[in-house]
Amino acid sequence: MSLLATACGSNVRLDPPTIPEPLINTVPLHVAVRIPVEFHGFVHKEEVIGNEEWTIDLGRSNAVFFEQLFRYMFDSVTVLGPEDDETVISYDALVEPSIDAFEFSVPSQTKTDSFAVWIRYRLRVYDPDGRLVGNWPVSAYGKSLTTMMGGDEALQRAAVLAMRDAAALMIFRFDPDQFMRTLSSGTEVPEDAAPGNDDKSAAAARTTPMEGGSNE
Amino acid sequence: MNRCAAARRAGMLFVVAGLMLSQACVTSRVEDSREAVTGIAGDESIVIMAKSYHLGNETEDNYIACVEEALSRGKQGLNVIPHRQFVDSLFPWFEPRTAPAETGGLPKLMDRPGVKDKIREHGVRYIVWLDGDTEKVAGGGSLSCAAGPGGGGCFGFAWWQKDADYTASIWDLDELESAGTVSADVSGTSFLPALIIPIPLIARTQAAACKGLASQLRIFIVAGDAEQKAT
Repeated sequence: MSLLATACGSNVRLDPPTIPEPLINTVPLHVAVRIPVEFHGFVHKEEVIGNEEWTIDLGRSNAVFFEQLFRYMFDSVTVLGPEDDETVISYDALVEPSIDAFEFSVPSQTKTDSFAVWIRYRLRVYDPDGRLVGNWPVSAYGKSLTTMMGGDEALQRAAVLAMRDAAALMIFRFDPDQFMRTLSSGTEVPEDAAPGNDDKSAAAARTTPMEGGSNE
Repeated sequence: MNRCAAARRAGMLFVVAGLMLSQACVTSRVEDSREAVTGIAGDESIVIMAKSYHLGNETEDNYIACVEEALSRGKQGLNVIPHRQFVDSLFPWFEPRTAPAETGGLPKLMDRPGVKDKIREHGVRYIVWLDGDTEKVAGGGSLSCAAGPGGGGCFGFAWWQKDADYTASIWDLDELESAGTVSADVSGTSFLPALIIPIPLIARTQAAACKGLASQLRIFIVAGDAEQKAT
């Protein structure tokens, strides 16, 4: 039965993942987070050679993920909907996450036993005066081996791992001091760090506080 | 009478299968390399983790679970903290991307807020990083099956060989140094002869690698102190 499902592809629905509470000190800032429409119902379809079609429905996973993550990272967080007016509240920074790219691979493509998911998020950060002061790409990756339960579970697990990877990367590279300096400087960064343009993305990333150290 | 003959034939098949099963061959080599004195107290524990897939590692979850189970089993079982519980409680510092790849990264990791306290809370003395996987390296033969109104059956012979190569790197979190490595290299060939009924003779390569590595790991960690003093 699972063999049949694998041969024809599958529809996978992801329940919102729960990120463990990170071992970090929260940053003493009030951050507003604007959750875009796509984060409440993101569906991605992948057609594989051989009439195999895989669909993953992330549902509200991205919305829940970013709400959780920012509540863990900052002292105070206000969640805004796509149409909410940010000017009626006061905040230290407004963050707008979005998805630049989402891809996944299945075992028949890679000739391995693994499902892999790549997500490239983008975080746009505005200061209280509405200036774009940060425009950062975050590329995350998750991989999971096929289990006896079939491919659906492995693909779900790979997606959850990719989101955890994004959270880990954001926390790992986040430098609170530089973030505050970036906000207070009010220096605008280019809006056109287009998806897929790695040079621009890299240049934008260099102007950000997400450059922290590593454990190495 | 016919029924008796059929039962005898079936019995013979099971006997032959049993004999051949014992002949599905597995060869294994388990080695260790010590860098420091080890030893573990009753209130200390260990964690078994897979090396990051960001580094190209593909250690299977079921292999980690097998080693965890083998090490914690029995009267002399070690306290093993389930790896997912450990990783979640120290999020995000042991994620595939952020976990230190070398012991040189341990001091900086321990300085992060709450990390040292959480590790102490778990009583974790050693982290064991597993690297490696089990893969099919060869195979051959031919097997065909057919079915008709009067019945069906298979005829032929197939075989395949799997290699399980795993290395466990043991990190001492008290001393913040590498204690050494244990490796298991197991090769097993499985057969599938079929004369009407296919009889799978499976070499349990990964299970052998799990058992061999776990038992050597236990010796390495527990008896390490005495072993070192004796030499």
